Amino acid sequence: MHFAVSLNIAATGQDVLDFGQISAFVRQAEAAGVDMVIISDVAEGPSTSPFEATTLLAALATVTYRIGLVASASTLAHQPYNLARRFASLDIISHGRVGWNATLRQNPREAANFSRPEGFSDGDFRRRAEEYIGIVQGLWRSWDGDALLFDKAGGRFHDPDRMHMLDHKGEFFAVRGPLNVARSPQDTPVLVMSGLNETDRDFASRGADVILIAEQSADAANAATADLRRRALAAGRKPEGVMVLLTVAIESEPPIDGLRSLLGSSGCDGFNLVLPADVPALQNFTDRALPELRRDGLAGRGQQGATLRARLGLGTGGAK
Amino acid sequence: MTARRMKLGLFLWATGHHIAAWRHPDAHVTAGIDIEHYIQLARTAEAAKFDMVFCEDAAGLREANVNIASQTSRSIGFEPISLLSALAVQTERIGLVSTASTSYNEPYGLARTFASLDNLSGGRAGWNLVTSASPIEAANFGATGLRPHADRYARACEFATVITGLWHRKPAGHDGESFSVRDPLDVPPSPQGAPVMVQAGASDDGKDLAARTADVVFSAAQTFEEARAFYDDLKGRLAAYGRQPDDVKIMPGVAPIVAATKAEAQAKYDALQELIPDDVGVALLSSYLSISDLGRYPIDGPLPELPESEGMKSRQALVIEQARRDGLSIRELARYFAGARGHWRIVGTAEEIADELQERFEGGAADGFNVMPSWFPGELDAFATLVVPELQRRGLFRRDYEGRTLRDHLGLKRPI
Repeated sequence: MHFAVSLNIAATGQDVLDFGQISAFVRQAEAAGVDMVIISDVAEGPSTSPFEATTLLAALATVTYRIGLVASASTLAHQPYNLARRFASLDIISHGRVGWNATLRQNPREAANFSRPEGFSDGDFRRRAEEYIGIVQGLWRSWDGDALLFDKAGGRFHDPDRMHMLDHKGEFFAVRGPLNVARSPQDTPVLVMSGLNETDRDFASRGADVILIAEQSADAANAATADLRRRALAAGRKPEGVMVLLTVAIESEPPIDGLRSLLGSSGCDGFNLVLPADVPALQNFTDRALPELRRDGLAGRGQQGATLRARLGLGTGGAK
Repeated sequence: MTARRMKLGLFLWATGHHIAAWRHPDAHVTAGIDIEHYIQLARTAEAAKFDMVFCEDAAGLREANVNIASQTSRSIGFEPISLLSALAVQTERIGLVSTASTSYNEPYGLARTFASLDNLSGGRAGWNLVTSASPIEAANFGATGLRPHADRYARACEFATVITGLWHRKPAGHDGESFSVRDPLDVPPSPQGAPVMVQAGASDDGKDLAARTADVVFSAAQTFEEARAFYDDLKGRLAAYGRQPDDVKIMPGVAPIVAATKAEAQAKYDALQELIPDDVGVALLSSYLSISDLGRYPIDGPLPELPESEGMKSRQALVIEQARRDGLSIRELARYFAGARGHWRIVGTAEEIADELQERFEGGAADGFNVMPSWFPGELDAFATLVVPELQRRGLFRRDYEGRTLRDHLGLKRPI
């Protein structure tokens, strides 16, 4: 049973969280056995947070030890080469605990601030996002795991045959590579996909490590999970190589009994609880809900591996 | 009034600035994948009261020839903004400055990212604005060739205008040649108001942009005369933008090798020079000379006659002049330039190095220095324990931080 918590620090209309409060919350979640925390920072209106998600993640990586750390970053706000570098670096800084939540929804506010005032058509946005994500995953494989030799006497820092160009030329991007960041300690950072609609399911089941779904009922979640596993199998993956988490937004206290029964009948691998980004809600969650979730076995059952992949029981980096 | 004090930056670069640094027996060879190494370096610099640590950046490999690249440590490393964000919560006072290119970023995104770093660090962030001039980088961003210099600077100027507008809470809305931005920045200002702006361009376009927007300028100068000329030139451009000479701190790079005696320092330098593989040295020299086939000439022979470069004209002239003046072979010339990438190199005792720094600082050629240790951690430790105390004894460098933010350390005004 896997368990993630999502925190959108950009949610507006309340007191902002400072670094001490966010890190205290993440450390408590870590102590309670939460597998990963997913941080995003995009809202429809202006954010009130002092932080951007990937920089915050780098800082959190130095004050935590086991919990997975996932940041949302949009395909509108960064070039794929830059984003691949950012997450590869975060993964090394965290010793292999990082993931990228690639949301497949276009945010109009980002388009307006990133020199794309008209945005993309839905079809263009989807094809662009798919191409983008493929480039990032390809760049993450630029260096073989044993490429670095560190051979001082022989003067060989790396093995040139174990470094790979990407030479991607597509509809929206051309990227030669290789990445100038070493191979991830966990093979590749974990790729989380969210915001899927029906047409994204094939793509997500081919490439994602973790898929966040947000179905409204146990039946719907069951059907969506079965559908994603079927598609993963058809794409030549082991169905259990894709982790499906049901996203549940909670207002104050998670209804434990409801969660337990929902999970039992949803066919999912676990939950992603979306928490309000304010101090009382976080305190309530860590002080009251987490111990209960843990006692009921809903939290804290992750594998005790050092990396996020190991913790989630995932194989090496996603689909090829 | 307190005496004018020099500013010191620590230029971080994985294993060190010498091209063969990683082969030094005591160099931390896994530096490019070891965050603990960087935390330690930043803490050493903070204990020595450096103003800032500084990271350069390039979005691609440094060297196109894979066999040459594999004999250096420079093809992998941390993306600097992630690195500095991690250092922000592992240090308390030292400034954190990163390079980021205006060529392959968007101003709204970079404004948010640096504002976040500034908040994470309690007001210690700085941004070194560069335009990207490398075809290796261009190929990672869909470009088939480099954009002309003037176009890169036009984009950079627009970028600087937009990002400073966002940081300084100017009215929202920008619709320009390269960028459009609708909203005000959605990250609140840090204790220093806005990240410090750093630049290093030496062209006329670069110097004008720096005079208009920079708080700190990094420069490269071998001789006192060059350093003084650059200093006067840049400070002279400030008035046109309504700025005072002290509003911009000019910090040339310096690559010191220090030891208890001159002979010992020279021996340290010679040992490092011996570690440069000939083909690596010749490849670097070729890049300074903007030619591709230097390797076909006898390595112990003289530099051949070369056609004038269309690339880095001033660097080519400097190398050729050095070769002719000192009668250097290709091998000797390659080693000379591989050691410090054309930056000012001083080999000597702490007193001798302090003398040289003092001369430039007091002689109107520098407000401080960007220190480039040859290898890490050893040459940083040597500088921190030998040279810094000597500078402090002479009253040239602080014994403790004056404030909390990078602007405090540098004596810069808080932006309105």
